[in-house]
Amino acid sequence: MFGMIIKGLWETLYMTLFSTFLAYLFGMLIGIVLVVTDKGGLFPVAALNKTLGLIVNLARSVPFLILLIAILPFTRLVVGTTIGPTAMVVPLVVASTPFIARLVESSLKEVDSGVIEAASSMGASPLQIIYKVLLPEARPSLILGAAISTITILSYSAMAGIVGGRGLGDLAIRYGYYRYQSDIMLITVAILVIIVQILQEVGARLARFLDKRLK
Amino acid sequence: MPDAIIRAQGLTKSFDKGDLALEDVSFDIYSGEIFGVIGKSGAGKSTLVRCLNFLERPSAGEVYFQGEALSGMSRKKLYQARQSIGMIFQQFNLLMQRTVLDNVCFPLEIAGWKRETAKKRAAELLELVKLSEKAGTYPAKLSGGQRQRVAIARAVACGPKALLCDEATSALDPETTRDILSLLRDINLRFGITIVVITHEMQVIENLCGRVAVMDAARVVEIGGVREVFSRPKSEAARALINTDGEAAALLRFLGKNGVSIEEVLGHVWHDN
Ligand SMILES: Nc1ncnc2c1ncn2[C@@H]1O[C@H](COP(=O)(O)OP(=O)(O)OP(=O)(O)O)[C@@H](O)[C@H]1O
Ligand SMILES: [Mg+2]
Repeated sequence: MFGMIIKGLWETLYMTLFSTFLAYLFGMLIGIVLVVTDKGGLFPVAALNKTLGLIVNLARSVPFLILLIAILPFTRLVVGTTIGPTAMVVPLVVASTPFIARLVESSLKEVDSGVIEAASSMGASPLQIIYKVLLPEARPSLILGAAISTITILSYSAMAGIVGGRGLGDLAIRYGYYRYQSDIMLITVAILVIIVQILQEVGARLARFLDKRLK
Repeated sequence: MPDAIIRAQGLTKSFDKGDLALEDVSFDIYSGEIFGVIGKSGAGKSTLVRCLNFLERPSAGEVYFQGEALSGMSRKKLYQARQSIGMIFQQFNLLMQRTVLDNVCFPLEIAGWKRETAKKRAAELLELVKLSEKAGTYPAKLSGGQRQRVAIARAVACGPKALLCDEATSALDPETTRDILSLLRDINLRFGITIVVITHEMQVIENLCGRVAVMDAARVVEIGGVREVFSRPKSEAARALINTDGEAAALLRFLGKNGVSIEEVLGHVWHDN
């Protein structure tokens, strides 16, 4: 049983961290584009902004379980199979990218418009403003967002069991729900709770540590 | 006729909704002078100063910087021109996640300086504004006056020809205001940087400027030497600005002569109520 749980834990961490990494990468890009192309942004492009915003909203309104099943053909196309942790990464990334894009967008919008204006007045280009002003100034908030994203993806990953994605959630459902082995269920739940606590705490501490406004 | 370093010609700005924020504003700012723009809140001063470096694109009219029209410049050219026009703000607008030294390095990075030379230059500028000992501190720990001095060091880091100041002392107490004004005067004298001062405070203009433009409801209603405008105001707006200010100053002078402080007077007023 112990070995099984360790294996499940490993699979869950793998799915979660790998998906978070990819989803954050895409989400960050989309979030930046949403902010920059917005009306009053650094480089307003109304059509692009509206279209992207609409896609993000549509994608966010599909429940994860339905999305997971609906994109099975796409998952097979990308990783060659629909079973196992790697196959789970695809729907996890697709489902959480729009969510992360909105998180990143709101973090970047917190940056004081006066500071951006000051940078413009010094002759900074929009690209320079993105990587020298927006991202560094929003860093604490982005880190908190990353912790929240990881936690969300972790909880999504627990649904992997339903399509044979394995991991802790899979164990909990198979043994705890189908076979009434509530001890395994309890242990997996406890482990998930601990991981969430650690992520939350590490994220909050790191954000606070890196925020120079508080020192 | 002296050289116009900045020329505004027929500047007009309309936003999506509401009245014109600027209407047919024209003036020349001469190389090396300290030029003031005064007007009450909402007169269009900030819009005007933001048009001077095209942070705001005017709806009509033109701005010439050193004889060159800003509207005709490519993006790259405009960014370069902005490096020659520093700007400071009421809210300082420092990068809160960068140290004081790195804030001053920022415009140098934008201008493509090497890290080491930029740091050396930034350290010199901090010396100029008397903040060398704060180089490694973050702005959150500084007072308003100190923040504005960092902002000034940052604005002149690239050796600009002109410096635009939008209500640069409006968030500061009178004593700190005096310090900042004398720093600006010093910079003007030592480096010959042309300064444009936007304010709603009379004494800022009186203390600092040679010439002043009075704005009212999106227009420049009067322009001339500070003494001339203040002693013989031609416009209603200028008279209004001088009068409100003059009455308060006269009251304070009167109280001062009689050895009464304003706190005492206010104390009586509150007590009596
Ligand atoms: N981005 C904007 N969008 C719409 N209207 C604006 C915008 N910026 C300024 N205005 C309007 O233009 C007018 C002039 O504003 P501006 O900020 O230039 O005044 P100001 O003289 O600087 O006032 P204050 O002393 O309060 O700073 C105001 O009526 C204001 O509402
Ligand atoms: Mg203003």
